[in-house]
Amino acid sequence: MKNDTVYMVGVYTRTIMKSWFQYKVDAILRSLTVFLREATGIFVIYFTLLKFDTLNGWDIQELLFLFSLLFLTYGILIVFFTGLRDFGKTVRNGGFDRFILRPRGLLFQIIFSNADWFAAIGHGGLGIVLFVISAGNVGIVWNLRTVIYYIAAVIGGVLIQGAIFLLLASLNIYLLETKSLKDLLYWNMRKFAGYPVSIFHKAIQFCMIYVVPFAFINYFPAQYLLRKEDMAGYPAVYMYLTPVIGVCLYLAAYGFWRYSIRFYKSSGN
Amino acid sequence: MTKFSPYFAFARKSFLGRSAYRFDHFMGILNTILRIFIFWEIYQALYGGRAEVDGITITMVATNFILSLGLGAVFYVNDYYLPDRIQNGSIATELLLPVNIHGRMLADNLGNALFQLLFHFIPAVAVSVVFIRIAAPAELSMVFLFLLSALLGYGVLWTISFAAQMLSFWLINVWSVMTIKDVFVNVLSGAMIPLWFMPDWMQEIIRFTPFSSIYFTPVQIYLGQLSLMEILRGFLIQTLWIVILFSVGLLLWKKGQKKLVVQGG
Amino acid sequence: MSLIEVNEVSKAFRVSKRSAGIPGMLANLVVPRYEKKQAVNNISFSIEQGEMVGFIGPNGAGKSTTIKMLSGILYPDSGNVRVDGYIPYRQRREYVGNIGVVFGQKSQLQWDLPVIDSFELLKAIYRIPEEVYRNNLNRFVEMLDMSGFINQPVRQLSLGQRMRADIVAALLHSPRIVFFDEPTIGVDVVGKETIRNFLCELNAKDRVTMLFTTHDMQDIEKTCKRLIIIDKGCKVYDGLLSGIRKAYGTTRQVDVEFAGDCAVAPIEHVEIKELDAPGGRKKRFLFESREVQIDSLMGSLLAQYAIRDLTVSEPEIEGLIRKIYNGEVDQ
Repeated sequence: MKNDTVYMVGVYTRTIMKSWFQYKVDAILRSLTVFLREATGIFVIYFTLLKFDTLNGWDIQELLFLFSLLFLTYGILIVFFTGLRDFGKTVRNGGFDRFILRPRGLLFQIIFSNADWFAAIGHGGLGIVLFVISAGNVGIVWNLRTVIYYIAAVIGGVLIQGAIFLLLASLNIYLLETKSLKDLLYWNMRKFAGYPVSIFHKAIQFCMIYVVPFAFINYFPAQYLLRKEDMAGYPAVYMYLTPVIGVCLYLAAYGFWRYSIRFYKSSGN
Repeated sequence: MTKFSPYFAFARKSFLGRSAYRFDHFMGILNTILRIFIFWEIYQALYGGRAEVDGITITMVATNFILSLGLGAVFYVNDYYLPDRIQNGSIATELLLPVNIHGRMLADNLGNALFQLLFHFIPAVAVSVVFIRIAAPAELSMVFLFLLSALLGYGVLWTISFAAQMLSFWLINVWSVMTIKDVFVNVLSGAMIPLWFMPDWMQEIIRFTPFSSIYFTPVQIYLGQLSLMEILRGFLIQTLWIVILFSVGLLLWKKGQKKLVVQGG
Repeated sequence: MSLIEVNEVSKAFRVSKRSAGIPGMLANLVVPRYEKKQAVNNISFSIEQGEMVGFIGPNGAGKSTTIKMLSGILYPDSGNVRVDGYIPYRQRREYVGNIGVVFGQKSQLQWDLPVIDSFELLKAIYRIPEEVYRNNLNRFVEMLDMSGFINQPVRQLSLGQRMRADIVAALLHSPRIVFFDEPTIGVDVVGKETIRNFLCELNAKDRVTMLFTTHDMQDIEKTCKRLIIIDKGCKVYDGLLSGIRKAYGTTRQVDVEFAGDCAVAPIEHVEIKELDAPGGRKKRFLFESREVQIDSLMGSLLAQYAIRDLTVSEPEIEGLIRKIYNGEVDQ
């Protein structure tokens, strides 16, 4: 069997792009709407900081930089992991049965046969806008070292979230319905993630660092570049761990997926 | 009772229908509690131990979030009630039924709202006040006025959605309209940033929008921030917005229906 | 060994149970309840290369579940399945290239894109060689008369057009075995006829083995020689279509038009129905062929009465199968 993986990814991507952008005006409008919806929290923090100046020592520019990592990683994530995010739906509407009937890897099909481009543009676009606004105003010296660190941290952040999606998709095989679990573990925790983790109650900090490690997606990488005072509360090594955690978590989730997939039961109408 | 009975049946149906999604429901409650909690933590950090900022104590801020986000859960509005029916064409058959479709829409939402009040608002607020100190109502009579104002607040939110839903006669993509509407409601209603802390120029703008009538007016009444005259004025403004938005909605509805007839559904 | 072997296969599902009313709602909120539903119960059959088999049964009989086990989507709880030498649910990636599956209710086409785009995607997924793809595509498009809509987005197609496109989608990679789950559902009469003719031709020319479920008995009568009937997860009939009549069609019906109004004396083992008013000219005689000899009955009728017209008829297959479902015939 000749290896045509790259070619297949290309065909999938072309097909998805064609689908999402059937109506160009509508596509632009939808992407813009996602952008605005996600910016809600930014408007709120902006207005709040007009009154209060700093949040636990972080000024508005630094907070925007913190937020930018969250949105940027999600924008990249969703290009690859939409199929895992929507896996529950795919199972329920029989789409996964169809994947089983095709002579390709299951995870390969799930990952590459779908991409939510509206979310990618909306989140990713917001991430870029916030980065452009803040990156030059927060005192980061951009040199080879910091740029490489930044790229590694973004990749690590994408992998951490990818691992969470993959874990939830695996659980879907047992539970058939994991929307609520996803709300709990991902979307609810993500609500905390825009802000410096140091402001939260110890229990929440624990969750954000050790349970669903959102702190490693934006807080600790931002700390490496910004060195705020509240970093004193955490081991300094945490600032370097994001790529490691990303790779390890993803591999663990992948192992769990391989184990779980054998137990798949079609919804059987 | 007989005249209202079909609407009562719709409300009952939507009330009962909610129990099917058990786990989702608990998650919804948790979601509300977490949101309250996040804002509480953020404001504790922002206050940094200060007793008050601009005369606003942190307890007042906490009360604002608990009540606004709690009411936000009660104020159930299905933004896609009409859009769905217009898009799949079932609106045509539904118009033939001997019940008023707007009444049915309201009954459906109220049934959900009642469910949310009993099984979402009460547990979420109860849990929140265990961890976060909430201000007692300024006076007992204010509780009554607060409830009245909250009811009107729901009316404002409902009529905003009502008017916006009518746009689905002309637009294919109502989702964008609804989502942008939500952005405005979230930012300008005081649910995510207490309007006391909005910059003055923003407060001036917000005064001329219906958004502060949804949550902020009831919260101010609860906290005893408004004099009796101001409360009456608040009620008047809330009622005015309901009348204006409902009229706009009805006007669009009439025009939209004509368009529907012309196109033959 | 047969191409498809199904051996004492069983499969059960867990379904959630809802209770009514406000107390039930509150109970559901706290403790959900489940019950076990036996979808397939100890079924065995085998199908030879080139056969075309109709697989029927009432809703919820276990047809789709069986198809899913044959195509490798579901594991059986017990028993085993072997198709073309493969165990479908164990050797998925090697196996699925040899089969095609059409789910009439679930399209595999890209909803927003022209039909041809979905075909191109499948070409890449199945690694279909260019030449094979061209040949199959041209041939199927012509046979199913699809050239008029192949460049239209799927969402604009009628149900019949979409179904034809879905059938082609399942055949582009030249599978040796094709499973159809309701391939004519919602399709109009002309469309159904096109699909049936296509399937027959494919079966005859390419020796493609086919198994399909349907609710439309005409599909079966016009395409299949062999029929498998299942009900409540159990196999209740497996044999030739014509054999159904022999096995279950034992009721005979004789409609008689007498020369004038008359009353007929009761006959043992025969049910007499008045088709006119009581005592009128037209009557129907119903009886079991093993209890009453048709020639003796007719002989006695002709001897006793003046008869203008007489029709003997055998029961319709469709009616018989309905009787089998309802458990009205002995098995």
